[in-house]
Amino acid sequence: MFNLPIEGEELFVLEFGDIVNYFSLYTTTLFLFALAFILMAIIARPERQTDIVFGTDAVYIKEIKPDDLRFQRFMAIACGCATLGAVCSGDLFNFSLFTALIGITNIGIVASVNNRYVLNAAYNYGIVAMVATTFLFGGAATALGTCGTLSIWELAGKGMVPLAAEIFLVLGVMGEGMAPFYIAKAEITRAPGAPYVLMIHVSSLLIFLRVIEIILTV
Amino acid sequence: MMDFYQVGLFCTLVCVVISFLALFRERDDIHKILIVDLIETVGLVLVCLVATDLAEALILPGLVVGISELLMLTELYIRKERLPLPAIQPIRIEVMQTAPPIITFVLVVYGIILSGFSGGAVAGIGLVFYFLCKGYEERFALLETISGYAWALWIGAFFIFMIVPQAWLIAVMLAGGAILVKVTTKMALIGTMREGPDV
Repeated sequence: MFNLPIEGEELFVLEFGDIVNYFSLYTTTLFLFALAFILMAIIARPERQTDIVFGTDAVYIKEIKPDDLRFQRFMAIACGCATLGAVCSGDLFNFSLFTALIGITNIGIVASVNNRYVLNAAYNYGIVAMVATTFLFGGAATALGTCGTLSIWELAGKGMVPLAAEIFLVLGVMGEGMAPFYIAKAEITRAPGAPYVLMIHVSSLLIFLRVIEIILTV
Repeated sequence: MMDFYQVGLFCTLVCVVISFLALFRERDDIHKILIVDLIETVGLVLVCLVATDLAEALILPGLVVGISELLMLTELYIRKERLPLPAIQPIRIEVMQTAPPIITFVLVVYGIILSGFSGGAVAGIGLVFYFLCKGYEERFALLETISGYAWALWIGAFFIFMIVPQAWLIAVMLAGGAILVKVTTKMALIGTMREGPDV
């Protein structure tokens, strides 16, 4: 499978029966990227926002203690761990599960802001994420039904997975990875929560990159 | 002639399309949650259609993910709409005062005889009934600790299966006992949901 152009060279392979978790150059890059952002979420203090007093030069700095954002921080780290799982799993169903987990933790990050508009956006994203889960599982199940296995390692380069399953997987990832759009809609970037909100963008980007790799491989 | 899998696939996709049409027409938020749950359940049929042992093992995670997302959405809805928690008056029925000890005893003993997952469920139902009827004192930490140790034992039993397959008997006993304790304690927590601020 490592003669495919997208994967790059083989770095590490972990076998669990027919499910093989593999690290190619491509997935290792994604893995390290996610790891860096997890470390950032662990060591970073919450950002202190500034408010400009209208008509003057004065600036307020809001006091935000780490305790206020404990839940958001935990969810960001959990989201990072789910992303780690999604980028290195060698199994279509595990990938679907980790992607669904990313959706759940994304909502956790957003929902800890106690603001009606933000909660409304989180709710709408939650509905999209739940619908997307159907597509993810449907895609994995269709691949299993036609090929008899879920292992990316065994399916690699054979082109056996039907187009419908690939479309389902991409649709599912599109739904789960839509979180940044809802963040922009709710302007959560203005609510306290930086830098933990960043994890939503990172996870969304990484699952898109990973699903492209899966589609081109299987 | 089409085979059974393809017919089932076609029917499922028709169901999914119908539920999607319902979702697009629906405007009420709480009804949207219900319809999304419907879509999710219909989507699981796609997994069921494969009808192998592997598919059976995939249903459970699918269900768990669906339920956790449903719980999360409903919690979000409650917070979004700032709904107050309802104050429930406990029901007073004479049977609920006298029956719990003996029924719980029978169910727990039968559960222990069954052992394993189903035994845990039976014993758990007994404890749920007891806690529901008789009330409880705050021992959540204890229940959670027991459940955690039982889970660790269960995982340990799996490692015994993988590393020393000769000792399968002790692994089976360990796994059966641990899952019994774990399911029982987890289900007993449900019974404490009737009242109390900490739940």
